[in-house]
Amino acid sequence: MKRQTSVFTSTTLVTALVASVILTGFGGAALAASADDGNDRARATNVIYLLGDGMGRTHVTAARERYYGAAGKLAMETLPAQGFVSTYAVEKLSGQPGATDFKPNPVTDSASAATAWSSGVKTYNAALGVDAKGMVVPTMMELAKKAGYRTGNVSTAEITDATPAGQMSHALARGCQGPVYSDAACQDLSITGAALPTSDVRVTPIADQIARNGTADVILGGGLSRFDAADETALKGQGYSVLGSITGQSIATKADLAAASGAKVFGLFNKGNLTVEKTKQDNPSSVQAQEPTLSEMTSKAIDLLQKGKNNADKNDRSGKGGQGFYLQIEGALIDKRSHANDAAQTLGEMKAFDDAVAIVKDFAKRDGNTLVIVTADHECAGFNIIEKGTFTNAEAGTPPANVDSGNSANNSTPTRPSNSKDAARSTGIVNGAGAADPKNFGPATFRTPTDAAGVVDGSPDAGLWLTYLSGNHTGADVPVFATGPGSDQLQGTIDNTALFGIVGRALRVV
Amino acid sequence: MKTRSGIAAALSVVAICAVVGVAVYAAATGAHSDAQTAAATQFTPQATFAGLTPSTGNPELESLNLVHPSPGTIVAAAGPFDDRFVLEDLAFDGGAVSGAVRVTSDVSDVLDLEVLAGFYDADGVLVGSGRFVHHLSEDTTHTEPPIERQEFTIAVPGDVSGRAVAVSIGVPVLVNE
Repeated sequence: MKRQTSVFTSTTLVTALVASVILTGFGGAALAASADDGNDRARATNVIYLLGDGMGRTHVTAARERYYGAAGKLAMETLPAQGFVSTYAVEKLSGQPGATDFKPNPVTDSASAATAWSSGVKTYNAALGVDAKGMVVPTMMELAKKAGYRTGNVSTAEITDATPAGQMSHALARGCQGPVYSDAACQDLSITGAALPTSDVRVTPIADQIARNGTADVILGGGLSRFDAADETALKGQGYSVLGSITGQSIATKADLAAASGAKVFGLFNKGNLTVEKTKQDNPSSVQAQEPTLSEMTSKAIDLLQKGKNNADKNDRSGKGGQGFYLQIEGALIDKRSHANDAAQTLGEMKAFDDAVAIVKDFAKRDGNTLVIVTADHECAGFNIIEKGTFTNAEAGTPPANVDSGNSANNSTPTRPSNSKDAARSTGIVNGAGAADPKNFGPATFRTPTDAAGVVDGSPDAGLWLTYLSGNHTGADVPVFATGPGSDQLQGTIDNTALFGIVGRALRVV
Repeated sequence: MKTRSGIAAALSVVAICAVVGVAVYAAATGAHSDAQTAAATQFTPQATFAGLTPSTGNPELESLNLVHPSPGTIVAAAGPFDDRFVLEDLAFDGGAVSGAVRVTSDVSDVLDLEVLAGFYDADGVLVGSGRFVHHLSEDTTHTEPPIERQEFTIAVPGDVSGRAVAVSIGVPVLVNE
């Protein structure tokens, strides 16, 4: 008997070991979800995922200091769980991390990053909903929709742009946005070897996919030019209320949005990207000022998804309809204005994004069972806060001096005698005295709430001095803020692909 | 008892082989992340769309057939993105039309741009067309500022050479961010 027990025990141990290794190595998410089944700790009724495109840690700090002062906080900063997210992409045809053919690319674009959190895989820059070898991978919004959740996708960019499209489409190249197919924009022979038939989803224009796959119940943003009459017919055939007119290329307005109702709503408020908030504020009588703000779209999306959920609760016979909702919200213009090194508009877009966060935070507080995640896809432009009165290397005649180079322990770099401003590259504050010089690398300065009365933006007396490293993305980790069930998983540093599992477990779809 | 020991040993070998096999497979194929793999096995995204006719060629503009420019003129042909660019420095020498598209909306990159040129005879009848294609490879190194102005040259097709006396220009593809 003793021997039998021993044999049984050893067999059981080996089996358990195998199971453990397999689950830990290849099914960790499932294991974690199973563990959560016991206390339901990470289970949320709703998940709202807010994405500040291009929003690095300094974007957050600068917006805080600009609008609330150094001692204040943005709404996102008041969320209890905080950490950082690594964002790297991979090269084309790369394997996933840990594979022998894994080839990382330190700096991601919005498409690769969107695929990482939407589908849980690393992919190459420009890819949407496909892995680095071109294989279609399901998105979180598709999984949520299939599981019976209500779904929404809101952006201040064209709705076919990378971030929203990452949840609603599968494309070899992010440029394949529509309204028409093009070989150059849609095919990628370096991935597929030969051109795919145009019936393949991976080369089907993103607008055509969004109009037909019903992945999001509520779609609000820009990009009307990407859609055509056939798309409107397809949307209406699925029960969408289409605001404005796609066929007539008439943009929807904030009044249309306010009056919108129904389970499925499709509203695009600009033919291209929505207009930056600062421009709307500076031109209140313009057509663009009739576009809704991100906050208004956010409130309405939550309202529509909630009402749809409640209706589903009443009529639900499948047992799925009342499960809650999954909503993605993007403040896209933070990135676009950072590319342009326009600090004033960048800050304005940060404020607009954070206002939307505040609305979501209030909803989550009332609801009590909503996971809120606020993060970014990548940092853009190396945004920095410099000390008042100082200057950057871009303005300098020479880089900082190695003043201690006489010490042999400190002389691995060339000796530089001094560091001073280059008069030709630093001709004044770029939103002040140096505004007219296109070659000026000077900082932009902004008044903060604690500055003395009379101090204005663009003045050397302003307290917030901002600079940019470049006009492109950087590889810096981005911040993440969260609250709600499972938000403790976002403490510390995680990779962007882990966001897929965290959301998926909250919704119980992975 | 010996048999049971043998079974246990066999089970152990099978189990170890399974672990090693899965690990080798994963390393070789670059298996997806844990959560993604679980999801991927449960769901296949929609890959076909009822009623959507796949494209059979390069993008065209119906408006090329709707304009009838006078000899010696270059006119704009309507397209979906006309509020995002202006045409500059247009010139036609009988053999090619040249000019530039200056994108006036957000420009951090012009990812894709196609310019169509329609060529017309003396009666304003469309007799041929040509195309300029710009695609920004994701492998492109950002060594220059974002390009707002894309110059193009489109040659008159050989089969209508000598007959083309007027031109229309339109943009069916523009992806800028």
